[in-house]
Amino acid sequence: MTNHYIDLRNADCVMIIGSNAAENHPVSFKWITKAMERGAKLIHIDPRFSRTSAKADIYAPIRSGTDIAFIGGMIEYVLDDMEKNPDNYNMEYVMQYTNAALIINPDFIFNDGLFGEVSGGKYTDAAKNAWKYANTKTPATDLTLQDPNCVFQLLKKHFSRYDVDTVCNITGTPKDVYLEVIKTYTATGKKGKAGTICYAMGATQHTYGTQNIRAYGILQLLLGNMGVAGGGINALRGTSNVQGSTDMCLLAHILPGYLNVPVESDTDIEAYLKRSDKHPDSTITPQGLAGDTSSNWWGNARKYIISLLKAWYGEAATKDNDFCFNYLPKVDPKINYTHIGMIEAMGEGKIKGLWNWGQNPASGGPNSNGARQALGNLDWLVVADIWMNETAEFWKRPGVNPSDIKTEVLILPAACSYEKEGSISNSGRWAQWRYKAVEPPGEALPDLEIMHLVMLKLKELYQADSTPKARPIIDLNWNYGEHITADAVAREINGYDLTSGKLVASFTALKDDGTTTSGNWLYCNQYSEEEGNKCARRGTVDSHPKQIGLYSGWSWCWPLNRRIIYNRASVDLDGVAWDSEQPVIYYNAAAKKWEGDIPDGGWPPINQAEIGAKYLPFIMKPEGVARLWGYGLVEGPLPEVYEPWESPLDKNLMSGTNNDPCAFIGKYMNERGTSNQYPYVGTTYRCTEHWQTGIMTRNLPWLVELMPNMYVEMDEELAAEKNIKNGGNVVVSSARGEISAVAVVTRRFQPLRVGGKAIHHIGVIWHFGYSGMAKGDSGNILTPTVGDANTTIPEYKTFLCNVRRA
Amino acid sequence: MGKGVLYDATKCIGCRACQVACKQWNELPAVATANTGTCENPPRMDAYTFTRIHFSEIEDNGKFQWVFNKLQCMHCAHPACVEACIVGALEKRPDGPVTYDDRKCIGCRYCQVACPFGIPNFEWDKPMPWIRKCTFCADRQGAGLKPACVTTCPTGALKFGERDDLLAEARERIKAAPGRYVDHIYGEKEVGGTSWLYLSPVPFEKLGFASHSSEPVTVNAARAMGAVPPVLLGVAAAMTGIYWLTKRRRKLSRIKKSDKENTGVPR
Repeated sequence: MTNHYIDLRNADCVMIIGSNAAENHPVSFKWITKAMERGAKLIHIDPRFSRTSAKADIYAPIRSGTDIAFIGGMIEYVLDDMEKNPDNYNMEYVMQYTNAALIINPDFIFNDGLFGEVSGGKYTDAAKNAWKYANTKTPATDLTLQDPNCVFQLLKKHFSRYDVDTVCNITGTPKDVYLEVIKTYTATGKKGKAGTICYAMGATQHTYGTQNIRAYGILQLLLGNMGVAGGGINALRGTSNVQGSTDMCLLAHILPGYLNVPVESDTDIEAYLKRSDKHPDSTITPQGLAGDTSSNWWGNARKYIISLLKAWYGEAATKDNDFCFNYLPKVDPKINYTHIGMIEAMGEGKIKGLWNWGQNPASGGPNSNGARQALGNLDWLVVADIWMNETAEFWKRPGVNPSDIKTEVLILPAACSYEKEGSISNSGRWAQWRYKAVEPPGEALPDLEIMHLVMLKLKELYQADSTPKARPIIDLNWNYGEHITADAVAREINGYDLTSGKLVASFTALKDDGTTTSGNWLYCNQYSEEEGNKCARRGTVDSHPKQIGLYSGWSWCWPLNRRIIYNRASVDLDGVAWDSEQPVIYYNAAAKKWEGDIPDGGWPPINQAEIGAKYLPFIMKPEGVARLWGYGLVEGPLPEVYEPWESPLDKNLMSGTNNDPCAFIGKYMNERGTSNQYPYVGTTYRCTEHWQTGIMTRNLPWLVELMPNMYVEMDEELAAEKNIKNGGNVVVSSARGEISAVAVVTRRFQPLRVGGKAIHHIGVIWHFGYSGMAKGDSGNILTPTVGDANTTIPEYKTFLCNVRRA
Repeated sequence: MGKGVLYDATKCIGCRACQVACKQWNELPAVATANTGTCENPPRMDAYTFTRIHFSEIEDNGKFQWVFNKLQCMHCAHPACVEACIVGALEKRPDGPVTYDDRKCIGCRYCQVACPFGIPNFEWDKPMPWIRKCTFCADRQGAGLKPACVTTCPTGALKFGERDDLLAEARERIKAAPGRYVDHIYGEKEVGGTSWLYLSPVPFEKLGFASHSSEPVTVNAARAMGAVPPVLLGVAAAMTGIYWLTKRRRKLSRIKKSDKENTGVPR
């Protein structure tokens, strides 16, 4: 989240799209309820009327996978309305804080759904260069926003095709409801008003999921909703500590603190930083805005990567050996190392062993039959978990003969969250510290302890090995003594000044000369000499001058305990808050300092700063302003309507390009269905009562009592057609497999009119499997192995299926 | 009347955390259930399920709505169960809860018959069965805590406090958001008033709430019981009167007869 949970109560309008917050993030509803008590309106956009829709002022049905059309139409409305009624919007924000006025390369072309030439599933370098600014170092601007090549005009041209009728024909949303959504939400464009967009997997789990979020970003920037209280782009993260896991880089493409993972051609740190655009040379300085300087904060990455390497390799990391940079595994840019990529490789027999930690690919990833089959190609599999899950038991799953599977499976019982100490980072980036309440049962150990034992053993095994491959293990800094503690790791993640031996106060003090360490620059500041473990703080006083709910003394968040990021955009060029009743920060000119939240850069307001030091607010972008035009993504600078890989339509109603040209399409056991055999739109989702693949919740009797069976949901018309009764048993099938389930026939799904025909959804929960106390078929047996063009997140939310009475 | 709980259906998200918190606090086992095509489970309250959420998919004012409401003992001001219990095992405490003492219970189940909400549950499957129902977490209240369901509710749909304060707040909520609520607080007057109060966005009957007059149900028992002495006296008096009349008639008739027999001469 750019903001945080409590801040939701500050919104004038809450738009929930691609999320079922009431069911899957019930605590978020504590704050959304408070916002509504203060008069805020709640809009819910979803294929299905869920427990969230039950609380909404406006419920808008939408065909799964059509967010870009939906939001694109809202963007079109705003762009048009801005010219007619500029007073309804914060034009100063749009012109000075976004790249609306910047001039794009005149060679840019967009034609029939494509942003240039595509070759082998990728846009060519020539195409991508045409997406950049005309002048890539010092881009020109047009503050009248009239230049045909300025971002504002290009946006207008692109979204002019997203008129209300076209949009509603693609999404199936009734026109009057759609107009009501537009009117209600875009009212937050006024100065002093704030709208928040809350989203979750419904937005991201598509082949163009990243572009869905881009669309939300564009809308929020046009409405001046970024950096302000009650605004923001607020991802409701899917598990309690996934924020922590991505911050600490448990993903294939990043190092802790969202640094890039090196690639084979990164011969040294300098090359690595230049290639990944995290170098001072990548600074872009727009000409003609009130702000004249971009801090390009990623240009500091050199200090962060070196401090990280010093934390990892200690004394062995010196200036002479480039701080052991070459110890880091470097990836082949042609290989996809994400979850889907890994299962594909496993299916091809390329992976010998898998360490499976608190994960359940046999039910949790797409295409369960394929994943389960692929696991059988492993020589060995280690499963660390709190219960036996489908992955641990894949070798004896229904329908297979265990003696046919040669994989050796080793189980490491793990402690659950109440049985160990450490921090959990929530969606709002708050890394709240938790304590051990009970001893783990039997031989179960905390993950940290397991890792510690494994590393000690590895070091022991390699200590006599004189080959180069052993050096990264031998030289790895691992001084935790006999019993590792989360506290020690937290301090190491914060980092030390090696000269004084003291904890570093902030990432601004990290150096690139090897005299500082930090396990994660974003978390530098979480542990201090004066206060100790800030994540463990429990201050319940809201000390903000206008009490907007920051509770800065409760726990700690990154970066630097800044609760609302990009907050320099919440004030005008003089440092006066756009919203005087709910300011995030404001400048105290007499005292020459900022009040309120930690400012996103302590420099004075633009108009009060010296020339050459007028810092622009969006510090993480090389150009210092936010990108309405986002040329850094793989499939284009702007979101564009595509159909999902398996679509109920033969053609994309917006252009001649049916699908996202850069989506990842898996090959292993990944049959593609057609709308003839599979006429209905399948979508997977969760319910409140179960958790992920259900391995925790299906072993808890009180939760099984609430939701005892695998079920699917469908509309009454479809059920009548198929002679399916509410509560009856059905079989749902896709090109990948079929599942049995109880049918919940409900008015909460309605057929939608799309492209002249009726589209029926079938909703499938994915919490069940063949392991545990309460069993049932896994929803993911139906889903395809296709992934988002930028992130490879699987398209769980839209595929084709069929249903019959069992 | 002591403490109460205000349940606001517009804030309830149907998450059922209250159902689980109740089971956890009261150490109740889960019961075997099946998905019959609804989120609702268990389908009814019983000896092991003191509270549950009811889900209603309805039309109101031409708009489709999905409204949730929480069911449990209402902890009436004038409990029919207390009145019906012949051994005084059920008691209405001044601080609110209607409590049950299994040391006194004889298992007659009159409380089950008497309750207008059908709440008291019986342990059918036990050889030594008791009545079981929501206790309003009297034990927690005794320790200065709120009921388990209230404590766990994430949205504040459940609010605990003095019943009079809750009534004032309910009226304030209705006034502050015209059109949001039906202008009625269920439990304010029904059956003479209950500790549990409800606000709803749609007419209560559409959610399955029974219409009850503001007359305490115990009034019927009181009336019946109160009628016994006068009826007894009245019947006794009437019977006595008839007896006297009949006896006198017989006496007169005997005198007439004996006179005739003696003299043959009428007197």
